[in-house]
This record gives sequence, structure tokens and C-alpha cells, in this order.
Amino acid sequence: MLKNPASSATGLSRRSFMTGTVSAAAAAPLLASAAKAEEAAAVHSRLREAVAVSLRINGQPYALSLDTRTSLLDALRDHVGLTGTKKGCDHGQCGACTVLVDGKRVLSCLSFAVMNQGSEVTTVEGLASSDGKLHPMQQAFIDHDAFQCGYCTPGQIMSAIGCINEGHANSEDDIREFMSGNICRCAAYPNIVAAIVQARDQTRGT
Amino acid sequence: MRPFVYEQPNDISAAVAIASRFTTDDEQPTRANAQFIAGGTNLADYMKLGVAVPNRLLDLNRLEEPALRQIRVSDDGIRFGALVRMGEAADHAEVKRRCPVIADSLRLAASGQIRNMASLAGNILQRTRCEYFRETSWPCNKRVPGSGCAAMEGFNRQHAVLGASDACIATYHGDFAQALIALDAVVRAEGSRGARKVPFARLHRLPRDTPHIETDLAADEIITAIEVPAVAWARRSRYLKIRDRESYAFALASAAVALDLDGDSVREARIALGGVATVPWRARAAEAALQDKKLDEASADAAAQAAFADAESRQHNAFKVELGKRTLVRALLETRDMKV
Amino acid sequence: MDAAAPKPGENQGEPLPRIDARLKVTGQAHYPADLPTANIAYGALSTSSIARGRVTKLRLDDARAVPGLLDIVTYGDMDKVEKPKFGNSGATSIGPLHDRTIFHDGQIIALAVAETFEAAEEAAQLIRAEYEEEKPTASFDSPGAKTVDAAGKNPMHKEDVKAGNFDAAYAAAPVRIDARYSTPTQHHNPIELFSTTAFWQGDQLIVHEPTQNVTGWKVELARQLKIDPANVRILSPFIGGAFGSKGPMTPRTAIVAVAAKRLGRPVRCVTSRMQAFGTQTYRAETRHRIRIGAGRDGRITAFAHEGWEVTSRADAYVVAGTSATGRMYDYGSVLTHVSLVEADRNTPGYMRSPPETPYVYALENAMDEMAVTLGMDPVEFRRINEPKVEPIGKKPFSSRSLIQCYDQAADAFGWAKRDPKVGAMRDGDWLVGMGCATAIYPTAAAPCAARVRLTSDGDVRVQCGSHEIGTGVRTVAGQMASERLGVPIDKVNVEMGDSSLPPAPVSGGSISTASVCSAVLKACDAIRTKLSVGATAEGRPLAGSHNEELDFADGKIVAKGGASAKIEDVFKIMQVGAIDEYAEFAPKGATPGALKKLYAGQPEFHGGDHDEDSVKYAFGAEFVEVRINRYTREIRVPRIVGAFAAGRIMNTRTARSQLMGGMIWGIGQALQEATEVDGRYARYVNRDLQDYLVPVNADIRDLQVILVPEVDHAVNPAGVKGLGELGNVGTAAAVASAVYHATGNRIRDLPIRIDQLIA
Repeated sequence: MLKNPASSATGLSRRSFMTGTVSAAAAAPLLASAAKAEEAAAVHSRLREAVAVSLRINGQPYALSLDTRTSLLDALRDHVGLTGTKKGCDHGQCGACTVLVDGKRVLSCLSFAVMNQGSEVTTVEGLASSDGKLHPMQQAFIDHDAFQCGYCTPGQIMSAIGCINEGHANSEDDIREFMSGNICRCAAYPNIVAAIVQARDQTRGT
Repeated sequence: MRPFVYEQPNDISAAVAIASRFTTDDEQPTRANAQFIAGGTNLADYMKLGVAVPNRLLDLNRLEEPALRQIRVSDDGIRFGALVRMGEAADHAEVKRRCPVIADSLRLAASGQIRNMASLAGNILQRTRCEYFRETSWPCNKRVPGSGCAAMEGFNRQHAVLGASDACIATYHGDFAQALIALDAVVRAEGSRGARKVPFARLHRLPRDTPHIETDLAADEIITAIEVPAVAWARRSRYLKIRDRESYAFALASAAVALDLDGDSVREARIALGGVATVPWRARAAEAALQDKKLDEASADAAAQAAFADAESRQHNAFKVELGKRTLVRALLETRDMKV
Repeated sequence: MDAAAPKPGENQGEPLPRIDARLKVTGQAHYPADLPTANIAYGALSTSSIARGRVTKLRLDDARAVPGLLDIVTYGDMDKVEKPKFGNSGATSIGPLHDRTIFHDGQIIALAVAETFEAAEEAAQLIRAEYEEEKPTASFDSPGAKTVDAAGKNPMHKEDVKAGNFDAAYAAAPVRIDARYSTPTQHHNPIELFSTTAFWQGDQLIVHEPTQNVTGWKVELARQLKIDPANVRILSPFIGGAFGSKGPMTPRTAIVAVAAKRLGRPVRCVTSRMQAFGTQTYRAETRHRIRIGAGRDGRITAFAHEGWEVTSRADAYVVAGTSATGRMYDYGSVLTHVSLVEADRNTPGYMRSPPETPYVYALENAMDEMAVTLGMDPVEFRRINEPKVEPIGKKPFSSRSLIQCYDQAADAFGWAKRDPKVGAMRDGDWLVGMGCATAIYPTAAAPCAARVRLTSDGDVRVQCGSHEIGTGVRTVAGQMASERLGVPIDKVNVEMGDSSLPPAPVSGGSISTASVCSAVLKACDAIRTKLSVGATAEGRPLAGSHNEELDFADGKIVAKGGASAKIEDVFKIMQVGAIDEYAEFAPKGATPGALKKLYAGQPEFHGGDHDEDSVKYAFGAEFVEVRINRYTREIRVPRIVGAFAAGRIMNTRTARSQLMGGMIWGIGQALQEATEVDGRYARYVNRDLQDYLVPVNADIRDLQVILVPEVDHAVNPAGVKGLGELGNVGTAAAVASAVYHATGNRIRDLPIRIDQLIA
């Protein structure tokens, strides 16, 4: 049985695990053969190469050169300059980074940009029409005061549009459940639900 | 995050071939240099945290085999392609009708956005959310074998009371897997050593003294499909999930239940428990306890006692034993009362 | 009219939509980390993994080898700047890079700066520290915890309030309770991540950072960097939620400024969600002992409230909510005492309703227990003990509409239908419970400056260095100008969140609307005076009218008799294009140096319990219904009603939203929020939004806010009582009361979770 050094005086010393982060890499087995070593060398030679990524964002084509690690969120914010999409946790826990990819709402922080090659991305900046007329969801958010600080709002709005598209806005209960991936720390929730009901009814023409 | 090379194989055999080139036979998939990515909702998170450190990602989303993206319903059962997204399966009319427990387990998991992203295969392979596993400055036997476990004597409210070992008490947090294990699902996988079928119950490994070995899969093996055999009475099934908030939270306790009833009496019960165990947890003792019994609060309670007979709790998770029992009792009674 | 826009009652302003709403729904509202900055370098923090000890060695080689790495700021690199100061504008006195001592978990040990965000993160993760570790003290019961009297340790708590002879009265009381309560560690977790972007233009330092205190930070940052405050500009045009977390500046700001100076280019550091738990402030855990003695008629004769609060070893952070709880009811005698418990933790800080949230929770839970003990309806119990004057200094309340709040909320809630018997109400498998509690928050105001400009074509520009943290202050400041100058709101532009604007106090303590609106009011009135003079002089259109009889409406100046003059015509007559007025508002009782202190980032707070003539508080009453499953015991809140009276309501829409948000905060505090501290290592365990739970949409169902009309001319010229922090005071006690009603379990330790109900 393994010792539990965190709770016992024996075993691995507390000091040694505190000297830095312990990650799987530290203990990753060496590659078995010379062939593998060659492969490893090949990997390292390409490791930090920038990759070309083509995206259509709000109808406009973009050709980007990105680190493979760059999230779709950081690509939008830091490389395209569309800062409407927000970083609230960077780990898929808050929903502030929600965008539509090929019409579906996703978390742009958990998606590597390179995986979205050729995709159509819609952000909050792409909703209003070119004459400045707001999308019904944007107007509904204003009408129902569905935000306070406004930081989670782009994610809420994109998620709300996705929620209706998915057919998950048929009742207030549904809206509450299917919008629960978007945390609003100011807690405008009842107003968000009311806004989505309004926009749903308008976009359905009822 | 460590840098990685990104590849987009075109088909399953290409993906396997690349994975095979960059991994070794004895390597765990979660620790390999080359790792597969589909939705990325679990892997990208763990890469950012430095918990997962692949230097090569094989993106499965461009695999051309159509079956990977299909849900096929037939007299034999339901076959879910590995790349089907959780949200799609949760909304599938036939899945909802034939196996409500599956649709429920998917609908009650994560958030709408994550369900749109996460693949079914990725979901069942999701790794524990143990706080001490997630933060690399803590010792963790699952993350770094032999480094110790900080959770045992730490804050362990969300940790497992079933299936734990002296090395690891991390909970398996998935929901879908509970439905699958209850319904005797089978996983199809392809790797350099060919294609095979893995009974769902054998897919996940108990932590024992090797908690870093999480599944039965090899590092170059790809799950291609999940098959749920047809069980007509699975229409009487449901998934009950108890959590600290109404939505977007992991289970403190959950129960997947399917019942074949003859009037009030149980011909067959299928029961799996979530949120309380280190792996997807089939509660066979509870199933046996209900066999041919009239299902009422007393027999449900007896089944729950059987399910948790071997439970072991720690400082903060003792409530899970009682909660787990009551969750099962409630799930059984609610499933009994379903109108099908 | 929809629920979001309540019809204004007496002394309540129109529910205008937020004037920055369009920016917020189109993604054009630029929060500090959004502001475009050329040639930016990215910073990432490396933080300690121990809570107490010393860094003996820092291994930077792996980090330095990361391609794209530009710099690492660490020990030695901050020697030429001053250490931070704990106080009004500074979160802590700990200068994390000033020496190698580790005071708490997650303390900054280095800042890696690189060409890309990815490289900076990679490098920061590769920085390895070796420590000489000492056994840390985590919290109250940990070995090494040091308990000291709070009084006198911090200007926020000069003395423990008391009145009469508690001991004798308590001993003589026929009915007594003596109970202990606790609240957990909590982190604000605004959804906007904490960030600093700094760049230098010659001697000028420009910082983009979300803050509730641009002026205070300007002065404090200049002090640390030993430069003239005139050379520092803090920009925070929009703030993505604050709740107190962005009030005091943390040490990161100066570190990023130093990095930008070293590199000669802008540096942006966005702190990760996890790192924020150790690098920012938080609400520390508290404990309470409450004793109440009462007669069988329900009249309280004795009240004692003892509080214990955790703080860091470095700084004596105190909230001491006994000031409010000791004045809440007509107690007869009062005894209070607050202790600080020093531990190896980062310094706590203000979190939405800092003193009242924990202390009033304890008081109100105890009040409910006492009502149960007396066999009395909890609303009646409070009614019986409603004071004419506050018990400590025997001063009147400037206004107190608590009973009106109770009556209106009880009516809307249907309190009369409640069966008072414990466990008597059920709905199928769900136990139903109903409870209530009082909300209270001190009404304060601070000196504030504002500049208002009205042009001949009717455009208004309001400039004030306050902060739009989501409260709607930008909107209500504009609304005040719109009303006073008689121009439509869409002609009003409001600039805030910039230290180069006229200074405003920290946006904390619910003082912003009162302070800002009072300053804007004053500036507008100066403009009115000039225009009035222009309009009423001999030969002018309104000649013969008196200034004070004029009304400004619809772009006109209207005299009492109905004669009017278009404002644009008055401008023409006066031969000016615009009138610009700079006003400085100082609340009643302000010291002679109060305005000077405003410019120095040290605003004086007046009101609350500080004033001679009266005490000033806003009140509310909250009613909650809970449902608890009879098997699995999860707690849901299907219904909550709050009625609040807070003087003049500038805008019923933004007021309702703030109160609603507060009530939902209260539900979260009752049922979910807790930062778990690993007692062995004094480290935070659940450091993200996966494990630190806050309410989600599905948690909130039927929520009603009632704005009870109230007029109070004593509080400030605007007649406004702040309400940003009122809504979440008392909520947790109302939930605890409802849980008791449903189950018979009196839960005294927050949060109330399944764990406590399932045993």
C-alpha cells in the first residue's frame, strides 16, 4: 500500500513535493526505442511552430497564425481584437466566453483555436445588423435589465440565442436549466429569463 | 501549458497509426505524449492546469467515418457513435423514449455549452475533479504515482465512499456512465492491436494501489462506439442526481435505475450509483435485494442498505453514505411510479 | 410595465434603462483588460504553494528557456519601490517580492513576462521554488492561532459598543437563549478576472485595472513607486463586478508597473481564477456567540453579541458588525465584544456588506430562535422590540421604515397562510418552510467632486471619478443631471472610472449613489443658478421671477406663473456656448480637511452611526420559502420576497436589480458559498468556480422586490440611502429560519447544506 505523505510523518517528505509542481510529465516514461527517440526529436522540432488557422468570424474571413495552445477565446480577444467575448475563468466553469461555432453555443476557452479551422464563429459583436439595429436578444436584455456589471452579458446573450436555437427555451423552467452554464455574479437571473422569453416570442413571431 | 503539436487524422486507422508511433504499449492514455482530443472540455482544462501534459494532440473531429457521428436505434439496442455530442444524445427522441435514464443522465450533466462540445466517448473517460488532483502542487497518487494523497486527511467532502483504496479516494464524477453501466453497455474500441469490445463494467479500473491507471484502454486505442443492448423495460428508467445547486454541479450522490416490474413486484432491477464511488458503480447487491420483491419504501431501503454495506467514509464525506442510500430509495420509488 | 421596471412610488425616480446598456449588450463596453494596447507583453504570476516560511531558492532556468520569455520579476526587483500599505486603498501590507518570507498560501513569488499569453503561462508554471517551511496556522482552532481584542486595532473599530448592565438584565430575564453561529470563508469571485495592464509614457504611468477606487489607487501606487500622483492615471471605464474585491489595491499592480518600466512596453497580467483566491482579498470566516434575555411578553431586556474574525498576521482587518447589531432593536441592555484571530492567511477585505452579512446573520438567526422559544410569531417579536431610539447612544434614527417593510413583504409573501408548527407544511415529498429576517445597512456618504457641462444645444457631460461596477451609478448620475437641467437622458453623457476625472470616493459602503448624486446635484444647481440669472435679469424673458421658483424641464426654464424660456435661447442671450461647473460635495459633519483628503484618496465617511444628530440606516425585511426533499434533503428556494426602504430611489429599475442581486447573494451565502481551507496547510482547496459554488439561473425562481417609499432629508442632499449591500443582509437568516420551520433543525453554521440535514 502506498503511504500517504500528506498525512504521515514517514513517506515522501512534504518538502520535496512542495518544491514545485508535480505533473505527469515529470514521471512520463522514456520512449522505448531509438525509433521513438527519432519521433520525439521530430515532435520537438515542430513543437512551437505557429499554425495557420482560417476562421470566419461574424461573416468575415480571418487568416491567423497561432500557437497551437491558443484558445478560441484568446484568438478572438488577442489576435482578432474582438474583446466582447469575455474570459471569466478560462476553465469552462462560468460561460462568459460563450460563442456560437457553426450555430452552436460552445465555450471558447476550452476550445483550441486550431480545432476550429474553417468554422463560422459568431460573437456578440456580430449580432446587431449593419445599420445598428440590435438583435432582439440584445434589445430584450436592455428592456429587462438583464445585467448589472455587464461582464457576463455577451456570454449570456450568445448562450440565450443558442438556447432558443436548440429548442430549449420552451418554458421558463427550461430556460433556467439550460442557461445555468452562464454564471451571473450580479445575479440578474430572473431578468435574464424574462429577456429570453421576450426574444423567443419575438423571433418566433408570436 | 506545455506546447504541443496538433494533428488532424482523417480516419480511425490514421489516428491509431499516429498514436501508436508516439506512445508505448505500457503507457497510460492519460499520461502519454500523444493524446486524443474530441470536445476538449476535460482535456483542455487539465492541460491548462498542467495536470495533463501531452506534447501531441490528435484531433478526432475530422475522422471521416460517418458512424462516429450517428445514433442508430434498432431492435438490438442503441449504438452511439463516439463523436456524438452529449447534447445531441440527450435530445434524441428515441433515446428519451427507450432509455430515459440515458437521456436524463446526459441532460443533468454539465451545462448546455459543455454538452454541445463534449463527445460521448470523451464524457465517459472524463477524469476525476478531485481538487487535490486538479492543483499540481498537492501530492496525488493518480497524477504522480507514489506521491501520496492529500485528500485522505484533507477536505474530502466530495470524495468517494465506495471503491476507494488507501491510495486514492477520488470520485468518478460522470453521470452518463452510470446509465451505461446499469444497462450493460459495451464499448467498441480500435487500436494498433485491432478492434475489440469492452463491457462497460470493465472499462474503468478501481484505484487499488494504481490509481493512475484509470481505464482498460491502451494509449493508442480510440473508442469508436458505445452500444446499449435493447432492454424493452428500460423505458421504466430514470437518473436522479442530488447536488448542492439545482444545476451545473457534480453529483453528491446519484442513482441510475431501470426496473422490470410485474405489478408491484420486481422482476429485474438495474442500479448504478454516481457521485459516491471511485468508478462508475453498479450496485448488484442492491439489485439482488430487490429481486422478486414488492417494491416499496421498506424494500427500497433494504436495497440501499445493501448497496452501501461496504461504504467507508472520511472526515467530510460521511453524509454521502446516508445521502447515497436515500437517493437510491427515492430513485427506486420514483422509477416505480413512472407512467410508461 | 414589466417586473424589471417597477412603477415609481413616492420619492422614487423613473426606471430608465441603463445609459450604458447598449455598450454592454453589443460587446463594446471595454473592461480594463479589453482596452486596446499596442505592442503588449503578457504577464503570468507564479505563486507560493506553502502558507508560512521562506523561499530559499527560486529556480528560473526552465522558465527562462521558454521561447518568447522577456523578463521575470521576482525577489530583488522590487527593492526600489515602497512596500504596500494596508488601509483605505491597500489590501495588505505584505510586499510579496520585498522579502522571501511567505505569509500565506498563493503569495506572489514571481511575475513571468513574455511575448504571448501562452509563453508567459508556460514560464510561470515552470518556476520552481524551494521553501523552508514552517507549520502554518489555518484558522480559529489551529495551533498557533492568536486571539486579540479587535477594538483599537483598526480605525474601523475603535471600541466595543455597550449599553446598560447586560449581566444583571440577562440573569434576571425569564427567557434566555445562548447560541453560537458561524460563517465560512468566502471569496467575491466577480466574473471579470482580476487584471493589471500597465504602460509608461515617459514619466507617466497608465494603468488599466478594474477598481472601485481610481483616486485612492493613484495615490497609493504613486507612493509605492515613489512618483508624483499627477504622473499616475488609473483607467477603469467598466468593471466586471466587484463586490468589494476591487476596492483595495493588491501588490500585483506595482509589480506589473515595474515590469512595464523594465521592458519599456505595456504589460498585461490577467490573474487566473485560482490565483485570485490567494492574491486578492476575501471574506474571512467569523464566529458568534449571542445571548438574548427577554420577558415572557417578548420584550428584550438583554442582548450580547460576541464576534470572532480571522485576519492575517500582517494586518488587523476588522469588520465588527456589532455596531449595527447592537443598534438593531430596543434591547434594554447591550454588551458586545469583537476578537481578532491571527492566522497565516492573506489579509481579508471588504465583501458585499462586510460587517452586516455575518453579524446580522447571527443576530437574526438568534432572533428567530428566541421567537420560537417565546412561542411568538417572528414578525411580531420584531415589532414588539422596535426601538424609538437606538439603544447605544439613544439617538433617533433619521428614518426607519422596518415595520412598513415587514408589513408589505409579509402581505406579498402570504405570511398569514403559514402554519407556524414545525414540519406542518408539505407538498408531496417536499417539506415546506417559511422564514423571515431583517436587513439593515448603514447609510453613509463621503465627499465627492463632479464636473457638469451643459452646452447651448442641450448636451450634458457629467464627469466624476466614480466607478460603474454594475450598480447603475453612471445611469443615476446622468438621471440626476437630466432631471435638474431639464434635458432628456439621451442628451447626457457620463464619464467615470478615470483618475483624471474629478475625484469620487471608493465605491464601497453603498455610498456611491448618495455621494455622486449629491455632487452632481450641486454642479447642476450651479449651472441652474447661472442660467437663471441669465434668464431673469432685467429685460430677459423671465425677468421678475426668483431663481428658486424656476423649474428646468423639457429644455426650458419655466417660471412659476407658466412663462418659460428655451434654454438654448438663454444661452444665446448670455452669449456663451456652454456652462461648466465643478462642484465639491462634502457631507454634513465633514471635517475642514475632508475635501483635501478626498483628493488624497482618503475619503471620510459620514452617516451610519458616526453622526451626532441621528443614526442613519436603510432597512428591509425578507421572507423566504424553502423546500426540502424528505428523502434527500436538498434545499431549494422557490420563493423570496424582500421589501426595502432606502430613502429616495433614483431609478426603480437599477435599485430593484441591485436588491435582487443582493437577495440572490444571500441565498448563495445561505446554501452554497464557502471557501474550504485545508487546516493542515492553511491552503485554499476549492479555488475555482467548479468547486466554489455560487447560485446559477436554475437556483432562482420567484423573486419579488418591493421598494417601500421613504423620505429622508437628513441623510444627504440627494436624500438617497445606498442599497447595493442591503439586499443580502439577513437573507441567510431568513433561509435558516425557513429550514428550521420545515425540519425542526436549527442550523447555525453556514452554508446550510445536505450534510447538516441528512444525519
